Amino acid sequence: MAEPELKIFSYETIEIGEELGSYDYILTQKMVDAFRTSVDDPDASFPTLGVKHDATAFAMVYTDPIGTVNAGNEVEFFNPPIVGKKIIVKGRVADKYLRRDKPYIVIEATATDEDGRLLEKLSTYQLKKPDELGKKWHPEQ
Amino acid sequence: MASRTVIEPGQSIPSVTKAITEKSILGFESTGILNLENIHNNPELAAERLGTTYTLASGRMSITFATECLRKFFGPEVFNHTGTVNLKFLRPVKAGDTITVTGAVSGSEDIDEGTRVSVDIFCDNQDGNRTAIGIGTAIIK
Repeated sequence: MAEPELKIFSYETIEIGEELGSYDYILTQKMVDAFRTSVDDPDASFPTLGVKHDATAFAMVYTDPIGTVNAGNEVEFFNPPIVGKKIIVKGRVADKYLRRDKPYIVIEATATDEDGRLLEKLSTYQLKKPDELGKKWHPEQ
Repeated sequence: MASRTVIEPGQSIPSVTKAITEKSILGFESTGILNLENIHNNPELAAERLGTTYTLASGRMSITFATECLRKFFGPEVFNHTGTVNLKFLRPVKAGDTITVTGAVSGSEDIDEGTRVSVDIFCDNQDGNRTAIGIGTAIIK
């Protein structure tokens, strides 16, 4: 089956409330182990943070040649995911706004497992003009 | 750790200190399901989009570090089911950095489900520069 064609992201045309659809995957022990090793926490309970549910939902719909910088995250935890279970993620565009003439969008995702357990809700504030931050970090350039 | 039932304003939460390495950054990215190239795993993309000479650690790594502090403070039975983390990212984090996450109880509010406790969260690098700031919460009975 052919992959769905990605839309090219445009701040001007993306709509607040726009659904990013849903996807699912199986959480494997390998994913959990890789996540826990990367954050040096053998008890880390939400490897789903490494999957970046909201950004993944966005990337399944949009291609973004300009790129993005994560300006902030909000996450709510409800139940830790269980290895071997299917995780179902639904994403949407929660907001977009200009701050100091810089474009931001807010994407969010809600994850449940195959048994209907609510796992986490995650939002990301994405700055859609990453070169602006580069200038701030390297003002001499 | 057992869930805490006595929490006082100003009380410090357990801190964590994490060495950020190229391996940990790439390991975190490997948890994802799309295998996309981005400013965290592709130096050329980071240079093109940000003008940096290095890849950046995902801000979600700092979210995870803050989650560890809060889980240790509230206990997993509380935090993994009622916890939240909200961080704003202030500076880039890269390989070679050491990030220390600290926090202190900032307030509490009685709600129907119990008492929502708020914790101010700070992430600082080895030079004493603040890389992220935010709030965590959990609901205790």
